[in-house]
Amino acid sequence: MKNIWGWFSKKRSVENEDCDVEVEYLRLNFKARYHSFKLLISANNKSLENMADIERALLGKEVFGMGFIKSRVTAIAVSVFSMISHLKTITGGKYPELEPSFFRIEQEIAKVLSPKKNAEDPRLVIPFKDVEPGMAYLVGEKMDHAAEVKNKLGLIVPEGFAITSTAYELFMKENKLQSEIERIIQSAGPDSKGPFDILSSRIRSLILESKIPDALEQSVREQWEALERAKGKKVRLALRSSAMGEDSKENSFAGQYRSELNVAWEGVFDAYKEVVASKYSVKAISYKLNRGVRDEDIAMCVGCMEMVDAVAGGVAYSRNPVDPDDESVYINAALGLPKSVVDGQDTCDLFVVSRAVTYDVMPARLYDKEPLDFVMVSQKEPELNIRADVREKQYQVACLETEGVHRTEIRVDKRNEPALSDEKIRELFSLVIRIENYYNCPQDIEWALDRDGRLFILQCRPLKQTSFRPQTNDDAVVPRVAPIVDTGITASPGAGYGEVCHVSKRADILQFPEGAVLVVEQALPAWASLINRASAVVSEQGSFAGHLANVAREFHVPALFAVKDAMKLLTPGDLVTVDADSMAVYPGKHDELLQNKVRERNLMAGSPVFEALKHVSEHIVHLHLLNPESKDFTPENCTTYHDITRFIHEKSVNEMFQFGKENHFTERSSKQLHYVVPMKWWILNLDDGFSQEVQGKYVKIEHIVSIPMLAFWKGFTAIPWDGPPPLDGKGFAAVMFQSTAQPALVTSMPSKFADRNYFMLSKNYCSLNSRLGYHFATMEALVGDRAGENYVNFQFKGGAADFERKMKRVYFIGELLERYGFRVDVRQDNLSARLEGYDREYMEKRLQVLGYLTLHTRQLDMIMTNSSRVVYYREKMIKDIDKLLAA
Amino acid sequence: MENEIINLLIVDDEERFLLTTKKLLEKKGIHTHTATSGTAGFEVLESNPVDVVVLDVKMPGMSGMGVLKKIKKEFPDIEVIMLTGHATVQSAVGGIKFGAFDYIMKPCDIDVLAGKIREAYSKKMKSAAGGE
Repeated sequence: MKNIWGWFSKKRSVENEDCDVEVEYLRLNFKARYHSFKLLISANNKSLENMADIERALLGKEVFGMGFIKSRVTAIAVSVFSMISHLKTITGGKYPELEPSFFRIEQEIAKVLSPKKNAEDPRLVIPFKDVEPGMAYLVGEKMDHAAEVKNKLGLIVPEGFAITSTAYELFMKENKLQSEIERIIQSAGPDSKGPFDILSSRIRSLILESKIPDALEQSVREQWEALERAKGKKVRLALRSSAMGEDSKENSFAGQYRSELNVAWEGVFDAYKEVVASKYSVKAISYKLNRGVRDEDIAMCVGCMEMVDAVAGGVAYSRNPVDPDDESVYINAALGLPKSVVDGQDTCDLFVVSRAVTYDVMPARLYDKEPLDFVMVSQKEPELNIRADVREKQYQVACLETEGVHRTEIRVDKRNEPALSDEKIRELFSLVIRIENYYNCPQDIEWALDRDGRLFILQCRPLKQTSFRPQTNDDAVVPRVAPIVDTGITASPGAGYGEVCHVSKRADILQFPEGAVLVVEQALPAWASLINRASAVVSEQGSFAGHLANVAREFHVPALFAVKDAMKLLTPGDLVTVDADSMAVYPGKHDELLQNKVRERNLMAGSPVFEALKHVSEHIVHLHLLNPESKDFTPENCTTYHDITRFIHEKSVNEMFQFGKENHFTERSSKQLHYVVPMKWWILNLDDGFSQEVQGKYVKIEHIVSIPMLAFWKGFTAIPWDGPPPLDGKGFAAVMFQSTAQPALVTSMPSKFADRNYFMLSKNYCSLNSRLGYHFATMEALVGDRAGENYVNFQFKGGAADFERKMKRVYFIGELLERYGFRVDVRQDNLSARLEGYDREYMEKRLQVLGYLTLHTRQLDMIMTNSSRVVYYREKMIKDIDKLLAA
Repeated sequence: MENEIINLLIVDDEERFLLTTKKLLEKKGIHTHTATSGTAGFEVLESNPVDVVVLDVKMPGMSGMGVLKKIKKEFPDIEVIMLTGHATVQSAVGGIKFGAFDYIMKPCDIDVLAGKIREAYSKKMKSAAGGE
């Protein structure tokens, strides 16, 4: 291209050149520039569309993952880079500094997008006794806390060791898993919001089929054997997920990852892989997406703890999770392993222990309408006020003799016994208070009681409290219809409205409509992937201590659990309002309940993914290069991709406009316009500007198909010119003086100003050089059906009158053009006006305005000092143009 | 241009993807060759007229980027569209820098892919006509 251009320029300077060859090169040159320009504009549009996507995402109204960010960033980078290449073609490499600016920005973005680097520590496993506080980067938050409670507070935590993030990275690296996983995730589409079943199953299979690195196998074996030596017997372990970011204040990941219980040596590596693979369970993928967690930042550490064959277990909250003002300790307890509490599978007991040291009556319970059996546990230690809600417990989870756990029926005579004795409640209460005091924030603690009466702390994490103000009787809103349901436990406060949808098997998840009320029998963690799509959750089983309750609170989705016969009472398809606060479900919609309770779900704000987008956007969407006239409008000053696109767009339009100005052609290569009679206008068809092959000297207007030229011509010919304005004495003298001083103004004089008016055109393009009277106008336009490519550029200069009058005319025209939407810039007596990006119809109308003004402002400079005449012409022209545009 | 026959080569190591895509593109009038590696791709190029190549970035053996460079060296008129399941700025921009027409991310809508192939073909035709 550059060669052709250089050659062509040289060629032009040769006198007596072969006109046909010249025109052919002009055509080729035009085609190349035109093609590059169209590609450039198309890339510009693509980059702006993707930038708009980023700006929309920054509003935080929708969830998005890293896939979204990466795909948009890549698309923008490619478009911007393509624009640089196309500008290079158009200008012959005029702005080499653009590439360094591009790569500088790209590097800044890469820094934001690259995964966090964990501190390097070669250890693959670390015994709990060696875990120091603050080693979460190596063992994950969960194990970091468990070891801290054990080593610093001296509480009983099962013996064991952690398989570290270094081990995880080794496992992923040796099996080349990371890039393959990224590929699979990407293959679901960058904007995928689920369901993730196929994706999950592909990734999990990949992980489960992978090989454990020899070094890891050896390290685990050594730790396992050391544990057995210390215990003097064979041990079984529980393998618990302890992923980076799990159990942090921001995200609990409650129940999103897997724990493998009662694992024997033979199964340890399968169990390890199961836990690692649970990073990609359906619920974990959708949780990460909805909470804006960056998958690539999460290393899955695994805690290997000696298995506690518990007679009772559960979850204790050091405060009320749905009322920050309630300071009581809430202990959920089941018989057997704590699994049935955390999984929300079965009904469990609840013990509420007041921190108060008197017998004062407790405030009314907020989460259960049923009257409680008040049990005064002890007379010896009156400072503890305990309320017990002992329920009938039909099932428990227990360890199997061989390996693993199972759910068994509880003997009928044991079902109504409290899961914890008074003494153990008191002991657990004191452990809970110690842990809370140590961490200085409310805690969510999983505990287990073994056959020897020892209370173990299995894990602890910060408790997220949801602000919920109970309604007093005075301000309670009660709809005037009978509730369908009026019982249960507030697992997550709020009210929601939607269509009832029963979910009882995994396949139902796929059919779940957005905004429906999720009704289930058990509050299983498996339903967590639906939480963000549900307007409310109702479950027959479960307590507010389960994983599902946790997730519902994190997502601000109202949840009502322990609703007996919910599946029977709530019919699929019925529209209901769930008021979790008042533990009721009403038929139909009740705005009085929904008001103030529908929470704005901006879950992305503050999340790692959201932060990544925010930082990335600083290098992409911000626009600093605002003024093309500024000396700072340079490639070196482009600090964002938007700056580059702005710069390139500006320069490319300018370059295109130069084409018409820099290229001239002889009369022989063109056709004279025949419009009623032969006109003093010559036409050069650059490409497809004529509807047919035109023979002879003339081309008729009906054979021209150039959209911008025809629009301009329509305006030019719409209203006949009245002829030159009558000159007053001063105006005439001014013209005479200028004509004498500048002989070139006299049309009979051979000079460059005597060039004729000519159009160069194609179907969508038109370049005009005209001299009408004493002024010069150049116009270039590209108009077609793709609005983004459309532009009009108009320049006007000169005149016969003195400078003041010429200036006045330029301002006069500028004012009119601004009135019709042009961006106008006036320097001295030189006016330039631009318009771009509008649809075809709008551009055609504006070209008509230019056509009209080109004709009707002839010789108007001469009356410019006569204000009443100026007013007359302005009004007349506005009237004419409005009429023209209305036609 | 809808009626012009475009000769396409898709190079990708996923055979199932190749089969399905070939079938769908053929229905849209795009004559499609397939190859599961860069080496096999060059065998096709040497014995068949090809206008556009759709090339997977990640393949065993010669990488997509390596294949792209070689195509641009030996068959400069052929337009190449990079296909990637894990787009990164570096790989995508790298592709454009080494002369790829564009890149497209997997999974892609067949109409989007066909549209991109037509755009690439149109560029090739314009270049052949002396446009650039």
